Amino acid sequence: MIGVLKSELFKLRTTRATKIVVICSIALPAIIFGLTSVFGFTNGEVGDSLVSMVGNFAPLTGLLLGVVGVLCSTQEYSQGTIRITLVATPNRLKVFVAKILTTLVVSVASSLLMLLLCLVPSQLILSSRNVTFEVVGSDLRVLFSAVILSAFLSILGLSLGLIFKSSPGAISALLLWPTILEGMVFGLLSLAFKDSNVFKLAPIQGNGFRLIATYAVPDQNTWLVSLTYFSAFVAVFVVLGAVLFTRRDA
Amino acid sequence: MIVVENLTKTYGSKKAVDNLSFSVTPGRVTGFLGPNGSGKSTTMRCMLGLDKPDTGIATFDGRKYVDIESPLTHVGSLLDAGDAHKGRTARNHLRWIAMTNGISASRVDAVLQMVGMEDAARTRVGKFSLGMRQRLGLAVALLGDPKVVILDEPANGLDPEGIRWTREVMRHLANEGRSVLVSSHQLVELSLVADDLIVIGQGKLISSGPIQNFMTQHAKTWVRVVSPQFDALAALVTAQGGTVERTAEGGDFHAVSAATVGDIAAANNIVLHELSPQTGSLEEAFLDATDASVEYRGQSTTTNVWEAPKP
Repeated sequence: MIGVLKSELFKLRTTRATKIVVICSIALPAIIFGLTSVFGFTNGEVGDSLVSMVGNFAPLTGLLLGVVGVLCSTQEYSQGTIRITLVATPNRLKVFVAKILTTLVVSVASSLLMLLLCLVPSQLILSSRNVTFEVVGSDLRVLFSAVILSAFLSILGLSLGLIFKSSPGAISALLLWPTILEGMVFGLLSLAFKDSNVFKLAPIQGNGFRLIATYAVPDQNTWLVSLTYFSAFVAVFVVLGAVLFTRRDA
Repeated sequence: MIVVENLTKTYGSKKAVDNLSFSVTPGRVTGFLGPNGSGKSTTMRCMLGLDKPDTGIATFDGRKYVDIESPLTHVGSLLDAGDAHKGRTARNHLRWIAMTNGISASRVDAVLQMVGMEDAARTRVGKFSLGMRQRLGLAVALLGDPKVVILDEPANGLDPEGIRWTREVMRHLANEGRSVLVSSHQLVELSLVADDLIVIGQGKLISSGPIQNFMTQHAKTWVRVVSPQFDALAALVTAQGGTVERTAEGGDFHAVSAATVGDIAAANNIVLHELSPQTGSLEEAFLDATDASVEYRGQSTTTNVWEAPKP
């Protein structure tokens, strides 16, 4: 298993597309965060706005790491290496678990690095100007949620990749559903049922992205309920991906 | 030793492989022949666990491929030379494969040297010609120093030197006691290296065994004769049941042995300038054996579909 894990990590490390997307997922928030720190706060105290900004970036990082998850699986099909992968490791469940773990390691490490690159330089910039900025209890939950969101979106991307077997299909589903389609579908449902609470059933916008909210909203799910709901949603795709990957002809 | 027993694989309503059984012996090169769409690649994929057969089993020294621990050290395969990420270097391509089976990085360098790619080790696969990719594919097959080697069209895209080299590699592997199963459409090449043949058509076994047996069964044989008294000889041979086909220098006798023609000539004081038994090529024998099972056939250039459109 260790060999298969090392191999999967090596595969991700040695492809340009995955490296570029990982770098973007880390660098884009870090650059914007750094610029905001440079130009946004000149004196006084920073409230929760800076941490909530991390929360705002988390979906972007998460979706980009989801694309890494997609590429981890679909590149194998588009380049034909899936045949070699399965010939080298005929136990498909082992390959699937290795891919999940690899994607998780990459997404957790990347999102932690993103948070580090957002917060540490900002701390230095702001403290040099005597601007107070402290990360406190509720902020830690947001930061923790940002990592969880990235991890879940990356394995959702991997599973979609295994289901679709093509990058365009899987990336479209990964990006279009949470950003456009989910809002439309649940917006229509709320009109049909004349109930705005329907939106709390939206798996990604209503629950996944809710994890990083810095404030509680009445009539919305609690953090724990959102986490459970979102996990279950991702788990459905993981199971479907696993079943198709282990049973389908390569 | 590879043993395939009663292998059947269906895609929708099409039976790609139909109750196929054969074996591949160690120390011999076994050619795997069949027309396009006859099920060769599907058979190989089923053998390697990539496709799940409906029925039947393929074993390597008594074990199913999926049950072999570190399978690359037992069975090496080249299914498609294009199976490599175009953005990865040749060395990195081999390294990730080696990692899965605990094969050392030094073995990666060794196989790169074996296939003559040490100078291209750090070049991206996307920059390789088809021939270079074939060599890389062969390096993948040899990576685990396996006892069984399965190669699907290994000489595709290679130049004449590369084709000869591939032939020598296959012979060398067999001489070392390994089982070598190779599918190829380059029948001349295969006839030079294969000891045994497995011929399939529309998923069914047509012939299996030593190449000589196949040739005896399917290749045409005739006797070539050059003689100043050819017409007289032709009349005598025809009377014995033979048939005659005239050529520029003499003629070919069919349905009669060289010994019989020689005896007739000697008994009748007929001078012979040439008397030689002839055997058809493996290509002719293959076409004869698989004629009934060819699925996709191009139109002959003598038919009117090849006529240039009239202005």
